[in-house]
Amino acid sequence: MTAIAWTRRRRALGRFWEQYSRQRAGVVGAVILVVAVVVALATPLVSDPDIMDVTKATGEKMAPPSLEFPLGTDESGRSILGMIMWGSRVSLLIGFMSALLSMVIGTVVGIAAGHFRGWVSAVLMRITDWFLVLPSLVLALVLSAILGGGTSTIILAIGITSWAGTARLIRAQTLAVEARPYIERSKALGAGHWHIMSRHVLPNVAPLVLANTTLQVASAIVAESTLAFLGADSGQASWGGLLRGSYDWGAATKGAWWYILPPGVCIVAVVLAFTLVGRALEAVLNPRLRGNA
Amino acid sequence: MTKWLARLSALGVAFLLVGQGQTALAQNPQQAGKKIVRIGSIQSVDSLNPFKAVRLISGQIQRWTYMFLTTPDPKTLEPSPDLAESWSTSEDGLTWTFKIREAKWSDGKPVTAHDAAWTFNKIMTDDAAKAGNGPAVENFESVTATDDRTLVIKTKAPQASMLDNPIPIVPKHVWETKDVGTYEAEDNPPTNGPYIPFEQKKDQYVKLKANPNYWRGEPNVHELQVIFYENPEAAVAGLKKGDIDLIGRLAAPQWEAGAGDPNIVQWNTPGRRAAYLQINHGATTSDDKPVGDGHPALKDVKVRQALHYAIDKQKLVEEVQNGLAVAANGSIVPPMYKDFFWEATGEEKVTFDLAKANQILDEAGYKKGPDGVRTMPDGKRKLEFRFSIHTDTPTEDKLAQFLTGWFKEIGITLTTRKLDSNKFTEETGSTALFDIAISGWSVNPDPEEVLATHLCSRRPTPTGEGGGTESFWCNKEYEDLYQQQLKELDRAKRAELIKQMQRNLYVNAPVIAIYYPNNLELYRKDRITSITPVPEGRPGEGILYGGVSGWPMYSMDAKPVEAASSAAGGGANTGVIIGVIAAVVVLAGGGLLLARRRKTAAEDRE
Repeated sequence: MTAIAWTRRRRALGRFWEQYSRQRAGVVGAVILVVAVVVALATPLVSDPDIMDVTKATGEKMAPPSLEFPLGTDESGRSILGMIMWGSRVSLLIGFMSALLSMVIGTVVGIAAGHFRGWVSAVLMRITDWFLVLPSLVLALVLSAILGGGTSTIILAIGITSWAGTARLIRAQTLAVEARPYIERSKALGAGHWHIMSRHVLPNVAPLVLANTTLQVASAIVAESTLAFLGADSGQASWGGLLRGSYDWGAATKGAWWYILPPGVCIVAVVLAFTLVGRALEAVLNPRLRGNA
Repeated sequence: MTKWLARLSALGVAFLLVGQGQTALAQNPQQAGKKIVRIGSIQSVDSLNPFKAVRLISGQIQRWTYMFLTTPDPKTLEPSPDLAESWSTSEDGLTWTFKIREAKWSDGKPVTAHDAAWTFNKIMTDDAAKAGNGPAVENFESVTATDDRTLVIKTKAPQASMLDNPIPIVPKHVWETKDVGTYEAEDNPPTNGPYIPFEQKKDQYVKLKANPNYWRGEPNVHELQVIFYENPEAAVAGLKKGDIDLIGRLAAPQWEAGAGDPNIVQWNTPGRRAAYLQINHGATTSDDKPVGDGHPALKDVKVRQALHYAIDKQKLVEEVQNGLAVAANGSIVPPMYKDFFWEATGEEKVTFDLAKANQILDEAGYKKGPDGVRTMPDGKRKLEFRFSIHTDTPTEDKLAQFLTGWFKEIGITLTTRKLDSNKFTEETGSTALFDIAISGWSVNPDPEEVLATHLCSRRPTPTGEGGGTESFWCNKEYEDLYQQQLKELDRAKRAELIKQMQRNLYVNAPVIAIYYPNNLELYRKDRITSITPVPEGRPGEGILYGGVSGWPMYSMDAKPVEAASSAAGGGANTGVIIGVIAAVVVLAGGGLLLARRRKTAAEDRE
């Protein structure tokens, strides 16, 4: 029995991969992502965190790129390349974790609101609407200011301000799934709320959740950079924090392009990659989109 | 797309119009031939009512528009006659008699001792009038005018700082009909200083005109305008363009932006501010009950001293203040005040020495764990401190990075907390929810005020109301010295006592002074032809804006406004406008792309 299930799953995965690999943009995005994640994971193996310590900086202030510092130095003489490598860990971690948090909240609220009709749905949806119309950037700023700096604070701030759209989406899909006859059949066979939600609805909305999470990571990374640029950072070097530093210390007026461009390019590249992958996943998982992608 | 362009250009026009409005303020045909000086301020005026105002800008305007009992001499900064022509003290030092100058208010009524008596009595008896200068009359027993020219002040205890009284005298006949708690002086009540306010717009500008009847003589400049800017970058851009003529109290990067313009003078002199770290050494409320959540290790003076050894102040001056500050080897009084400045020497002097810091901590029993972080002697808690700074202050951020690096070397973990200014004030001033915090104080020629911020009585009340403490310090030796200096009327002896108080703070380290930032100002020499700072006549020293007397604004001279030539460039801050438009374009472009993308995606779906 399990062997058969496994063969079936492997075959489905193979089919998925075959279809995904046909999405050229998606493959490009995936390659960029793999590179970014490998860099983030490998940084502690090849580099010492001391290079981010201002008291141990060896370079000149705002020195242009050289052999020793391939991407130049910042206002305290630290290597920009090293800062970007270490910063990728923080940016990606915050991106992934807050997207995950947002998806968990969004999925739970969405499924619950779609499954339980009546007042439960009404209350959940009004809360969702409230978060939807709230300016999320301002809310996230206020939250991070109240809770004080720190990685977990930023994750929390981005996570709980960005789940509302997902909840709406998941609720719509839940309604569609629950309208199918087999749900009625399982109800007739005595299935409880939990059984229906976890066994029938969740697997059917999961592809949507996956695609949406990927897109959410992109917007979470942008949100993190924006927050860091506005001064609400996690206290560790991140790409947004680097951009902030270049602005604070007048890199533009000093012509220090090596301080501004690399973190900006990194943000753009990774966000683009997540978007491409997300779109490709959407196209593969949604049969209606398959034709024209 | 054309629709977008149309909208964008409409927006641009709107911005230009806003700019034109501000230019109109400076450009007026009637002003030709007049000498007008426009002063930029990054702070807006909180109130022109002296009983209420607390901000520096408001205090400055008071010094330009009112007479005080005495005023600091422009050269020596020692008290000199202003409203009081002369004065005398009784044998016991408790009764002061002032002879009031013959002068006129700007509405023509005579200035009398009754005006002064009313002003002081109002503050002594009405809580609503205490906000501005309440502490200055705390020690007053009674104030009476025995005749039109004689004012008698009786104090509860001798008061050495009597002649540095910061209270402007207001006209009794106008103010006694007002409710001082709510009146904002928006109708420009009469004054008697060098300038008279005649026009104001909240959060935008205040205009002052020369007082022809001022006792020293009419100022050279006909009109003084104080123009408010939202942020320092915009103000410096305004100065470069000629919208304003002078701006003071700048941070290093903005001051450096004034370089390279032949018409702009970069004024860089010793400042009156001390920047220091405030350490939670076991904060208590005024009834000696512990308050807050400070780390227990910081109660140990050894730990605080070790922290002091782990700070390279000269490096901080170079890296954080761009070299525009003086490293602090003393305490809370900056070297600008030579008489009261104290500097550590010999054995006591703390220099940057990580080995010594490590040695102090080793000897005191704080052992390093396998992760390199020390623990308390009882092994219970690691030495992990929080460092509270303000949000949006790159210099404090950089300072935090350096401290984190050095403290790591001595086995102490420092994490930075950024707080908005209200929360910061609350946590470091009354609730004591901090370990180490950044702080600073601008010191007056008489340092009594800053010394008082470290007294037991300034600690928060048991109900949590802040008393204005800068350190939660409560130390017997310090209290005794403070009481002694209050009564010591001999200036040299009093200075010695004040130095002892600074030594107390330096050795016990409830605060650790880091540096004294320079006073950085910019002014246009093509507009302001001469200006003298306070103190005057000491080369390389002195403050133009934000000083302790209105002397620079009174004594300065300017070029008359040429007919229809001032305010050459159009609009305020073209750079800012371009920036805003660029931002709008980028946002709009981004939004458009996003909208388009959404649209295509939606089309794909359906």
